[in-house]
Parts: sequence; C-alpha cells; structure tokens
Amino acid sequence: MHEEKIKRLASMKKSAESGGGQERIEAQHSKGKLTARERIALLLDEGSFVELDKYVTHRSDDPTLPKFYGDGAVTGFGTINGRQVFLFSFDFTVLGGSLGEMTSKKISKAMDHAMKVGCPIIGIIDSGGARIQEGVMSLDGYGEIFFHNTMASGVIPQITASIGPCAGGAVYSPAMTDFVVMVENVGQMFVTGPEVVKEVLSQEVSFEELGGARAHATKSGVAHFIASNEYDCFDKIKKLLSFIPHNNAEEPTIIDTNDDPNRIDPKLINILPENPYQQYDIKEIIKSIVDNGDFLEVHELFAENIIVGFARMDGRSVGIIANQPMYLAGALDINSSNKAARFIRFCDSFNIPIVTLVDTPGYLPGTDQEHNGIIRHGSKLLFAYCEATVPKVTCIIGKAYGGAYIAMGSKNLRADINYAWPNAEIAVLGPEAAITIIHRRELKNAPNAAETKKKLAKEYRDKFANPYIAAEKGIIDVVIDPMETRPMIIQALNALANKKESRPWKKHGNINL
Amino acid sequence: MQFKVGDLAEILDGEILRTTDNNSVLVKIEGKQHTLRLLKSGTNEFEFLLDNTFHHARILHLGTAEVKIMIDGQPLVVKKHSKMTEVLEKTSAMGGAGGGDRNLTSQIPGRVVNIAAKSGTAVKKGDIIVVLESMKMQVAVKAHKDGNLKEIKVKQGASVARNDVLAVIE
Amino acid sequence: MAMSKKITCILIANRGEIALRVIRACRDLGIKSIAIYSDEDVRAVHVKRADEAYHIGPATPSQSYLNMNKIVETAKTAGADAIHPGYGFLSENENFSEMCEKNGIIFIGPTSKAMELTGDKMKCKAVMKKAKVPTVPGSDGIVEDVEEAADIAGEAGYPVLLKSAFGGGGRGIRLALDEKQLKQEFEMASAESRAAFGKAALFVEKYLERIRHIEFQLIRDSHGNSRHLFERECSIQRRHQKLIEMSPSPVVDQKTRERIGEIAVRAVDAVDYLNAGTAEFLRDPQGNFYFIEINSRLQVEHPVTELVTGLDLVKLQIGVAQGEEIPFKQQDLKMNGCAIECRINAEDPFYEFAPSTGIVPNCNIPYGPGIRVDTYLYPGCNVSGYYDSLVAKLLAWGRDFNEARIRMKNALNEFVIEGINTTIPLYKTIMEDQNFINGELSTDYLERFKLLDKMNKNAKESAKKSAMAAVAAVLLQSEFVRRAETIQQRSGTKSNWKMMRP
Repeated sequence: MHEEKIKRLASMKKSAESGGGQERIEAQHSKGKLTARERIALLLDEGSFVELDKYVTHRSDDPTLPKFYGDGAVTGFGTINGRQVFLFSFDFTVLGGSLGEMTSKKISKAMDHAMKVGCPIIGIIDSGGARIQEGVMSLDGYGEIFFHNTMASGVIPQITASIGPCAGGAVYSPAMTDFVVMVENVGQMFVTGPEVVKEVLSQEVSFEELGGARAHATKSGVAHFIASNEYDCFDKIKKLLSFIPHNNAEEPTIIDTNDDPNRIDPKLINILPENPYQQYDIKEIIKSIVDNGDFLEVHELFAENIIVGFARMDGRSVGIIANQPMYLAGALDINSSNKAARFIRFCDSFNIPIVTLVDTPGYLPGTDQEHNGIIRHGSKLLFAYCEATVPKVTCIIGKAYGGAYIAMGSKNLRADINYAWPNAEIAVLGPEAAITIIHRRELKNAPNAAETKKKLAKEYRDKFANPYIAAEKGIIDVVIDPMETRPMIIQALNALANKKESRPWKKHGNINL
Repeated sequence: MQFKVGDLAEILDGEILRTTDNNSVLVKIEGKQHTLRLLKSGTNEFEFLLDNTFHHARILHLGTAEVKIMIDGQPLVVKKHSKMTEVLEKTSAMGGAGGGDRNLTSQIPGRVVNIAAKSGTAVKKGDIIVVLESMKMQVAVKAHKDGNLKEIKVKQGASVARNDVLAVIE
Repeated sequence: MAMSKKITCILIANRGEIALRVIRACRDLGIKSIAIYSDEDVRAVHVKRADEAYHIGPATPSQSYLNMNKIVETAKTAGADAIHPGYGFLSENENFSEMCEKNGIIFIGPTSKAMELTGDKMKCKAVMKKAKVPTVPGSDGIVEDVEEAADIAGEAGYPVLLKSAFGGGGRGIRLALDEKQLKQEFEMASAESRAAFGKAALFVEKYLERIRHIEFQLIRDSHGNSRHLFERECSIQRRHQKLIEMSPSPVVDQKTRERIGEIAVRAVDAVDYLNAGTAEFLRDPQGNFYFIEINSRLQVEHPVTELVTGLDLVKLQIGVAQGEEIPFKQQDLKMNGCAIECRINAEDPFYEFAPSTGIVPNCNIPYGPGIRVDTYLYPGCNVSGYYDSLVAKLLAWGRDFNEARIRMKNALNEFVIEGINTTIPLYKTIMEDQNFINGELSTDYLERFKLLDKMNKNAKESAKKSAMAAVAAVLLQSEFVRRAETIQQRSGTKSNWKMMRP
C-alpha cells in the first residue's frame, strides 16, 4: 500500500518538474535558453537545492486557464559556494512565465524566508509579465513583490538575473534590487514595448535596442553587469556574492588572498603622466593596490567617467570609487553622481568599507547638465558620503577642484582618513581658471596677455598645487609616498575595522531624488 | 554530473555515492566505483589517492560551466553541464552580432605600443589594428572580420591582459 | 698587450638566470659579486644571492638594464673593478664596452674594437671573406630603406631573411616570403631591433633551406691564444629563436670538428677577438658550412659546452679578463658524452606561443644524475612581461645521445611550473620524436615534422590519462565546499543576525 504512495510521489515530482511539458521545454531550448530548473542547477552547489511550493497551482476560476504545478516559478533555497541563499526562477515554459496570484505568493514566501534567515535573495527573470486572465490579482501579485523588495532593501542583498523578457510594471522589482545582471541578446526590460512605441509614437525600434542588455548597461544604468551568456551570468553572480555579506548585520568574510599587505609599488607614480591634463587609466592604479589585481567593476559601461566596484585589500572586501581621467577628464556629472551615490549606499547598508581615489577637475558644465538637474543629482553623492557610517578612506592622487573635491569623500563629509599624493592639487579652481578671476585687472592691463597668463598660472600652481596647504589645516591627514598607497590604505582600514558611528535618529532623510 | 575533460570528445559521467569515515569518499565514474581517500585539503588544493594512485590537484579557476585545474602538474579544463552548453550555443549562433563577435580581444598579456588603425574607419579581416609588446616580442593584433572599426578601447602605453577587449568592429 | 690585473669585485649588468650563473662563478673564485635590479626585479633571486645589490631604475629596460651611465656609476660606487654583461642587454654594445674601458673598469668580454667589427655583420662578412672563411649570399651592406631591401631580395631570390645588423640572439630577424611581406616585416623588424639594442639597421640575406645551425664555442686570450671548444647543434628553432641545443652534433664527426674548428679559430683571429665568443655556421644538406656571424658574448647555451668539456666558461672568461693565458692546449680537450639543453620559455605552445607572465606560486625543479637546471625560478617568484620569456634552461648529460635524451625526457616530466604556461609540453614531444632521435634536424624541424600537431595529440593522450583524476578532483571540490559550510554552521559561532536588535 505504501509503495503506491511512494510511486505517486515520484510521478507527481516528475510531472511538476517538467514545467509546461516537454514540448515547451524544447521550445525554450531551441531559443538558446535554459529552463528555470537548469538555471538553478547551474547557480547553486550540486545537490543543495530544496524546492518549496512545487505543487502550488493557481486559484483562478477562469476555465480557459490551464493549471500547472509550480504556477510559473520555481522557488526554494540552496547554497552557492557553501553560502545559504533563497531564490526564485521564473519558468517560461508555464504560461510564458507569467505572474499570477499564487506565483507571487510563492515568490513572496521565498523572500520572507530570506528575511527571517538573513541571507541573500536571487531572482531569475524570464517572464511574459502579468497574467492577463487573473486580472487585478496579478497586479496585486506584483504589488506584493514590490513591497517585499522594499522591505528587504538594505536588509539582505537582492540580486536579479535578467535572462529573458520582463516588461511593463514587472520591471520595477529588478529596479529595486541591489544588482541586475543582464544576459546579452536574451535579457530584456522595458516599461513599454516596441509595438506600443511604434503605435503611439511611430518610432521603430527593436526589442534589443529598446531594452536589451547593452542598452541598459550603457545608457540607462539599469543593468550593473552584462553577461555574455547564462554561464557568465551565474559566474558573475557568484563572484559578486563573494564580496558581500549574508545580511546587514554581518560583515563580508575576510579571505586569505596571499597578497602581501605591505607590498609597495614603485611604478604607481609613473602611471600618472607628467602633464596633469593628460589622460591615463585609473584602473591600472586600482589593480595595483588591491589584492591580486582582482577588481570586480560594477556598472562598467555606464557613466564611465567614474569607476565603482568591489575588491579585496588584505583579504577584506572593500568598495572602490574612483574618478576615471580617461573619460570626460574624470569630471563629475549627473550619471556618475547617481552611479557612485547608489554604490556608496549599498556599501553602507552592508558594512563594506569605502575607498575613494580622487582625480577630478570639477563638474561637467553645460545646459544639458544644468537643465537635467546636475544640482539635484550631484547632491546625492554628497548626501551618500555623509550618511555612510562604514569606514571611509580617501586618497587624492591628482586634481581635486571645487565642489568635486568636496563630493569625492572629503574630510568634511566625515571620511575617516584622508590621504594625498605629493602631486595632489586641491584648489577651488584649476590654475588657468583661477587666475582669470584673481588677476583679472592685471591680465587686462598686461602687454602680453598670453605670457602673463602662463606666468601667473605657474605661480598659482607652484603656490597652491600641492597638498601641504590642506595638510597644514588638517584636512588632509597624511601626504603619502605613492608607492606606499596600498599599505597605507590597508593600515587605515585595519585601524577603522571596529568603527562605530551614529547619526541623529530619523525615520529616513530626504535625499534629493 | 557530466564532465568533458580537455579536448577529449567523450563525456564522462561522475557522481559522489557517499562519504565514509576517515576521509574516504566513494565515487562512481563511468559506471565504475572508485575509492577516493583525501590526504590533504586546503583552499582549492587537494592531495588524494584514487584507487591507491596518488594525485595532486589545484583548482586554478572555478566557474559555473568549467573548472580549470592543475592535476599532477598538468593543466586541464574540465567542463561541466555539457548538455546545457549545447543549448546555450544556439544563442551565439542566433544572436548574430552578439557581444562576442564584435569584440577584438587580445591573445596575450602586454603593453600597447602602437595603435595602427583609426576608429570610425572601415577595416578588413587581417588588417593590423593594434600592436602589443610583451617579453620583448611585438605581436600585431589583426582584425578578426571585415567591418567598421567602431571603437578602439585601449590607448598607447596601456597594459592589457589576455582576453581583454582591444577594439569593437561592427 | 697582456695586462695582468686581479679582479676582486664584479658587477653583473644583467638579471635572471645568467646573473645567478655569474654570481656562482664569482663565489667559486672568491670574487665579490654586485647585482643590479630594476623595480620589477626587487624580489628576484639574483638580488638575494649576490653579495651586494643596487637598485638601477624602473622596469623598462632602457631606463635600467640598458642604462649605461647608471650602471657604470653604480659599478664605481660599489667598488667593482669589472663588469660582466651576461647575454643580451649591453653584452654586445661597443659603446658600453668603451665606456667601461674609459672608466678603468674591466669589461669581461671582447674589446670594443672587436665588438664593433663583429657587431657590424657586413663589415665582419668582408673580413671573413678575406680570411677565406666561407659566407652566405646576401646584401653587401646595411639596407637603409624598404625599397632597397625589396630590390636586393628580388635579386637574391625569395625567401629572404631580414636581419638586424647589430646584436644577435635571434632578435630582429624576420622571414619574408614575398615582397608584400618584406615591406610589412621591414617596419616591425626595425622597431624590435631598436627596442632591444637601441639601434636599427637591417640587412638582407638569402634564406637557405633545410639547413642546420651549427656553432663553435671559442675562447681567445690577450696573448693571442685561441681555442675552440667544439660545436653545438642548435637547429631546432622557432622564429629564429633557438629552442634546443646539443653537443656533439649528429652530423659532425671528429674530422669535420677539427676542420671547421680550425676555420672558427681563424675567424676569431681575423677580428683580433678577446675572451669567449661563438662562431655561427649554417650547414646545408650537402655538408657545406657557411659562416654567419660571431656572437661576441657568452651565450645562453654555454652550459652545453661546459657539460661535454668539463670546463667552467664563466671562470675562464674572468681569467682571460684578468690577462691570464688559457690554461690548456687544444689537444688537451676531449668531447665527453653528449649534452642536450631545452630552453624553457614562458609561452603557451598550445596558443601560438603567446607570452605568459605572472607569479609562479609553486614549482618543482628536477634533479638527479646528469641533470642541470639554470634558472631564476623559485616558488612565489614573478615572471615579468618587461623582459624576455626564458625562465629556465634544462640540461641533460649522458654518456651517449640516447642516455642524455632519456634523462631529459624524465626531467621534463618532473619539471612542474605553476601559474604560467611554458614550452615544456613541446619538448616532451620532441624527446620522443623519431626524427629527433635519428638526428634529422634542420632549422625548419618543427614545421617539417609537424611537431605542434604531435604535441597536441600527446596532450590529448595525457588528458585521457588524467581525466579520471581530474573528474575525481572536481567531485571532491564540490563535496568539500558542502562540508565546509556545514562545519561552520555546526561550530556554534553565533551570528550577528540572531543577536541583532529586533
């Protein structure tokens, strides 16, 4: 008698695990996409996946809507490199992966569990969107997920893998998660699809152009990473997880990286060209000072004038922010302010120390910036630095002019330790601009304006273009030898490891959005 | 699990049956049972006896789809999930001008000593785009296809690693 | 004019394995050794082993190991009375040799005059012709521009070689099969030559086919005594870089050895050479020998000669530099056994020999009867992209060729270098190749007998053998990961999450 029951379990399991049926699975494969369960097998450690709510079906009384076990999503928990995670993976083979009332309940349950346990929640999106047949209940379903995303935000890390479509309101869930990885040519996100765009605006645009991985990674900044294929997507997620803690009460694990914390690099100063206005790649400096040159860049193709990403220093996970002189001379603008501010707030939520490298000539001028609100967006960066209570170490390696100097982790934003290289230039304005204002009269009356300008600029540079004036005032703590940048930052981080700082009690601030 | 080792055509089937005391693991590979006795384990490094023969393994890189290991001094790439790879390869075929095809990558680590082409111009397969230098050898990186040289991603003097993207040709 | 000066302190103007080699010779003779190092070599082994070490500049060779002024200045500060230039870098730079002479520092090598002559391949060729030393057809002088090169090449008949008129060691040599390629290669060959030796001037030479590269080691003292130390066959090459050298050559019998040895001696006499050098010859399938050039330095492959003669060439060099007479007669020398050297390069033979750089976290250096390894490797050392790719020289000596070959094969199997790709798999294949065993060598050996294909096939075979163990290791890894987390959870470390405020 019991044998029969065991047999029934086996057949139920088989039925549920085939999702929408063999035919639909083959259709998925023929598009070059893996099924929900295959993706989970790739992401999680072998044999660690426990599926929950396998036999859940929808409760709609619409006779035309067939019932499938699982209701379009596979949810549950498992481990990634030994770390506990919860996850949900949309099943495109079931009703196009559309979201219904019960699908949402499953996903919310998984998110609730993750919140109870304090571990990351990962969502794999491959969905046709709201299930029309379930009407308002599917919208209700999305609302429920959005609420969970918001509650989880800043409590547990939330990561989204976009490996299929995601349209309409559904896109707001990934938008609220901490990191979005989109697979090129497979992942797509847009609020309004190409057909409606064509109908309403007579604009012709393809799915990929409108909301593909590249569009979101380069133009909108919605995607933090582009993966070249599904394997790469999961590799990136695993790599990302290795830098962040399980939850907001923990610190990231310290790993033995075998890279001497006292390693000095005499080549560092040579990366900077003689001419301070010449371009160079800040990533070379970053790669030199972090452990084993291992730097996971976030938002690599968006707002390239600022670099953000994770690395380890002496085994300790850190968030790195640095101006990139190779793009827009490293100036700050709307997109870079947004990019860096969000990254800082993530690091602050999850106890990841912040290391800032500064070489910026100021803010990008122009009506484009002004009318699109550089004032609002720029303030976000200042706000984020001030708000953050994780250890903050800043090192000025080149220019630091005006408001941009302040915005890049300066002393008054409560950075803990501020270093500067001997060639650092901290000033209100660059030399050429400054002398036109200070010496306006002299320049007007000068017989040879160009010569005088050059002379005055040089004087200004000699007098102000050094960090010692700021060091005299205690705004720079130490002027360091560039080759010692790595050991100096590591020593600062070690000293600040147990930093505790509080902010005035408030429900939350009113950061200018 | 299904494994593909190096360039060997056959797919090896392997799984762990159970672990026993004193660090022994019973595994089944290609239908046959073998005893694995773990002698020493560290982060990504193992010394073990497989049916009484000693082996030393060091995991060089752990990815979702492949594991690069150094087994007894010999580097090998072990690919997992070969059936899924077949499925995924369809996207690269279907995607057409996917990211993989546009990118001209570097085969060697080195420094850029010469930018030999101008971005925004048309190039033919085989045209020299960038010249790299490493270990006193100069290597010319040639365009991998005909097209428009959309962007050169490196500057003179920059350091590149193997597989870094040097240029984009569309 | 024999001057006799006892050398007490030598500055080695080089790096890597050759610096270590010279340090060893200094140790033997009780001479103080001074090492120099660039930013890149702060942790190099030669820095650790020398008696004193001085920082010479940034990683770029032109600012460090090629910085003549800095080097001479350092020699004076360190109190060195002699400089050993090793091979490559400044070893064949007559300006450097002259600078040493002017500063009263003994340059362990030929005089600047002899170097100028041997360095100028065209002038040297002319001198050889006069001395009745047979030479190779080609351009009579330096070819200034690409059009002239094309003309001469057209006349001599393709294929031709573009060679740098200065320096050797295979750098700045390019093959051109037709005029289009000649023009392309001309530019790149000039650049490489300039980068390695500070100057670029090329000449054109007819490319002889199916030739063997056979060279004779020579030593000449300041008393006019010249000795040849037998031949080395260096035919197995890739892009004109030697890969394997051996002594004796399978096609040189005692009579030929004496005959060509005598010609080689005539060559060094003709240029009034001093100290150690090598006369390179090409031998065509008919057995004709053509003189190519004199390498006016100690060569990479000198240990091959040391193994079959029992001599220490570096100590001999120092002796000659001190003005001593060569302590043996030509007839005292006997060829003993057979020696083979494999140059282990940090290149990936499975990927078009792409350079491979980085830290070597671990290495296992072979040893045992008849095995010698000259290297700068040690666990944790750095293989830099700023310098050449030679990381080790593996040598095997045997009483005959076969014993040497088998010892080499086994040593290659023991040689493990982690963290970088090396050419070891290629040599393993060559040691078992029937053509190699039969002595069927020529400078196109690799392509002629499809060695790369054979190497790939062997890789498949050994992958098969290791496949099971590889799979077992990967299975172990996933099991280990699972266990690690369980242990952590069970160990009772309280998580912050649980203790957090509600």
